[in-house]
Amino acid sequence: MGMEDDILKDFLAESKENLELLDQQFVELEQEPDNEELIKSIFRTIHTIKGTSGFFGFTTLEGIAHFAEDILSKLRDGVVQVNEEITTILLQSVDYIKAILAELESSGQEPVDTEYLDFIVELRNFSEKIAKNISEASEGPSDQETAEEKKEAGPEKAKKEEGEPEAEQEPDAAKEEAKHTKQETTPAKPPENKKADKPAPKQKKKVPQPPSAHLTETHVRIDVHLLDQLMTLAGELVLSRNRMTQLASKLNDPDFVTANQRMSLVVTELQEQIMKTRMQPIGNVFNKFPRIVRDLAKTAEKKVQLKIVGAETELDRSIIESIKDPLTHMVRNSIDHGIEPPDIRVQKEKPPVGSLTMKAYHEGGQVIIEITDDGAGIDPDKLRTKAVEKGIITDEQARTLSNREALMLIFQPGFSTAEKVTNISGRGVGMDVVKTNIEKLGGTVELESEVGTGTTVKIKIPLTLAIIPALIVTTAGQRYAIPQVNLVELVHLNPQAARSDVQIIGNSEFYRLRGEILPLIRLRKALAIPEDDQSEEDTGINIVVLNAGGRLFGLVVDAISDSEEIVVKPLGSHLKNIPVFAGTTLMGDGRVALILDIVGITSAISSSGEDSMKQASSVTGAGMEDEHQFLLLCSVDPQEFFALPLALVNRLDKIKASDLEYVGGKEVIQYRGHSMPVIRLENYLSVSPLPDQEEYHLIVFHMNNKDIAFLVSQIEDSLDLAIDVEEGIFKQEGIIGSAIIKNRTTLFLDVYQIINMHDPEFFVTEELHAEEPARILLAEDSTFYRNMLTSYLTAAGYEVIEAEDGLKAWQIFQSEPVDLVITDIEMPHMDGLELTRKIRSQNNDIPIIAVTSLSGEENRQKGAEAGISDYQAKLDRDQVLQAVSTLLNKRTLEDAA
Amino acid sequence: MTKPADKNLPSMPEKAQVKDLRVNEQRQFVTFYFGRHFFGLPIDEVIEINKALDITPVPLAPGYVSGVINLRGQILTAINLAERIGLVSQWEGNGEVRLNNVIMGNREEPVSLLVEKIGDVMSIPVEKIESVPDMIQGIDTKYVSQVCKLKDQLLIILNSQALEEASAGTSGAN
Repeated sequence: MGMEDDILKDFLAESKENLELLDQQFVELEQEPDNEELIKSIFRTIHTIKGTSGFFGFTTLEGIAHFAEDILSKLRDGVVQVNEEITTILLQSVDYIKAILAELESSGQEPVDTEYLDFIVELRNFSEKIAKNISEASEGPSDQETAEEKKEAGPEKAKKEEGEPEAEQEPDAAKEEAKHTKQETTPAKPPENKKADKPAPKQKKKVPQPPSAHLTETHVRIDVHLLDQLMTLAGELVLSRNRMTQLASKLNDPDFVTANQRMSLVVTELQEQIMKTRMQPIGNVFNKFPRIVRDLAKTAEKKVQLKIVGAETELDRSIIESIKDPLTHMVRNSIDHGIEPPDIRVQKEKPPVGSLTMKAYHEGGQVIIEITDDGAGIDPDKLRTKAVEKGIITDEQARTLSNREALMLIFQPGFSTAEKVTNISGRGVGMDVVKTNIEKLGGTVELESEVGTGTTVKIKIPLTLAIIPALIVTTAGQRYAIPQVNLVELVHLNPQAARSDVQIIGNSEFYRLRGEILPLIRLRKALAIPEDDQSEEDTGINIVVLNAGGRLFGLVVDAISDSEEIVVKPLGSHLKNIPVFAGTTLMGDGRVALILDIVGITSAISSSGEDSMKQASSVTGAGMEDEHQFLLLCSVDPQEFFALPLALVNRLDKIKASDLEYVGGKEVIQYRGHSMPVIRLENYLSVSPLPDQEEYHLIVFHMNNKDIAFLVSQIEDSLDLAIDVEEGIFKQEGIIGSAIIKNRTTLFLDVYQIINMHDPEFFVTEELHAEEPARILLAEDSTFYRNMLTSYLTAAGYEVIEAEDGLKAWQIFQSEPVDLVITDIEMPHMDGLELTRKIRSQNNDIPIIAVTSLSGEENRQKGAEAGISDYQAKLDRDQVLQAVSTLLNKRTLEDAA
Repeated sequence: MTKPADKNLPSMPEKAQVKDLRVNEQRQFVTFYFGRHFFGLPIDEVIEINKALDITPVPLAPGYVSGVINLRGQILTAINLAERIGLVSQWEGNGEVRLNNVIMGNREEPVSLLVEKIGDVMSIPVEKIESVPDMIQGIDTKYVSQVCKLKDQLLIILNSQALEEASAGTSGAN
């Protein structure tokens, strides 16, 4: 039924357009009666109407169209010339057709009025007359011709002929008539008969006139660009109005103020109305779904009934276009994953036909779209298991997630709950894309589901994209707009806080916002505008905390101005590809401001190698995935690649070869007012020597309150990856191991050991002069970290006993005397907490330091409960050593006491 | 009385005809200057001419894009003619000069071509318009569609399509 309704709607819309054209074409035809193309075009239009009305069973319409077509076919074949009489009757036909269409549109029924039947008769007689004229003009052949034509014209025609005496003039028609009276009884018969002999010219004019006017009034086709232009001009008018208002209040002329107020009202109204022209009913998208659902259900061998509610809900044209794909995706998911096959549904005492509802409505300036199915629902526990399996979250996190939060897991990239991959869905791409796309429109997605009863996806999208609330910020003297949907909060750091609270790791900056690590992106950097360090010294920094697809980051801008409603305008084709801009807007003073694309900024920064977002994910993700580390890749000889943990690096810099100095047999460089030792790797490792270059790259470390640097030819990349170090082949002093990174064998540098080789005094601090070295038990499953920790602990003068996991450590602890334990948290066989508990069960005094990739707040409490004395970051050598020394000293003091 | 008329009459329409013919065969160009070069665009490709408008710079934009301007609510990309066609070396040092806008191209997405000085509208007989020489000093000839040798200088007729086209690769950020 719904399908038919849609077709009818399409038919009406199409016919209306064509008919408008017809009027014009007929007039043209009168001017140039020989224009074949014109006749053909008219013929096609009428023919389509005839065909479709036949399909729907609109007999009156079909009749008129048929005879009009009949006349037109004669024109087309050139047997008759266009004359005024013909044009008039054809135009009348068009009027009648329009009237019928109008009636169809309003009531869905053909008008029941004898007027129309009268006209059919008239039309038929006219057609007949023409045929007769032809046969009279050229006896034999054309007679046959018309007869043939009539036959061709087929049953529709005959249907109308029945009951009309004139038809008998043609022998063929008579036969046909007989056939058809048998086949069907025509309801139109009695009135037709009655009116057949009564000429109806006076009535015919009355009927078509009003409906035809009605038809042209309701809808006009307008070029979309024209609407956009109107919109633009209206916007500009608002700006002019604003200036006028300012002037008015300045001049203080009451007449002028009143006049201006009036204009102001009109302009506002005008803008609102023009905005409305951009609105379209969501039905334009919804009406594609009956078909999609039908096909999908068939493929999935399920039975689904689709219910559409609120198809008339209007929203912006541009949004309508962009929600189709996300909607399709969700409907697909509902059918494939949600609704059960009929047999299972019956078992569950549900009707075998699943129901799927798409509902749209307005709420609080937003459009809400709900997609509800009565399927199996989503089991949050299943999602938890799956997410843990896929490594999206840890066991522990899974346990703490609320059911609602667990449901949101399906929006994680790479998540799919379908047990099998079907050709409909289940490839693990999807819901995350849906979410991103909806968020791009400034909308949100929510999910509600109950196992066994069904799932509802709720999408909220703004009414229009054309006007959005935005925060205006300034950087380098230019204003930029940030869409409010991305905005989380604003933070201002005074110069002192800016210096002390912003950490630098590698090339990236971070700020700790209430315990969360917030990567910072400088807008100047994102826009490739040179930094202006001076102002920061004076005023501190402004951080706009933004949410880019679920990840928070801080955008550092020069100044923050106001919040404003802005009109979004696209960028020209030359500028469209710049990922950091979403568009432009006009400010109150008539100048242009660029709108920032928040997601674009993060991705632009991500791809540029110095990646604070990526790094942040490695930093914040540290608690979950211990082995992931952000690495810096560099090369000395173009063939030899090295990697080291980026977290150890303080800065990267470039120097000229001429800046290197030899002092006391060691190479140094003037760096930030100090002379800093520089290490060439080839002096300590069996690697190729550094080729002569004009410029070298410096990797600067800050350890033990001193700076020291490695000299390399090239910084290759920085990337976040799971370290899987092979120890064997390349094992030598200063090298922890090797791994294949980007298809190249890469050596992992033992930074501490190399520095120690370069300068054995470097790490020696005065207070450390134990007569007998303290024994440290180190439990760490990652070879990489174990070697590194051992390396710097040994360098600091401790004796280290290594254990690959908690269980081994426990065994060692039981058999050997140990002064201090350093343990990783996540380990196989026995984790750090378990190990701590075991140790505490025997010994309450021994200091236990837990090391993590980077200390996360949430674990501390659990660790403290288990009995861990201190938490440290593995890579932070100075802090670890400090903690070791403090704890050991404390213990010695306690022992002494 | 009739004699001179006889003499003049036949020649009058003839003259008019010749003139008509010449008018038909003339093309009109909007002309402008950049440095010492003299440029023209067919008049039907130019939408309007504006004095210096405020330009908002667009960071990361291709070098030839000076920024965006607001033309009665429509936001247009401003293309610096000199940068676009490779004239830069002769123009350096004038960065502060406010340039004039020649709004050109299709009405859906017009662009503003920034030029130093606006000239007159010139009518040029078709036969005087020549095809592009192999080389014009300091100018990338792909942006030139034709030239016309005037008495004292060369009118370079620009190829508006090439000027407008967002060449792939240059439009992206670095």
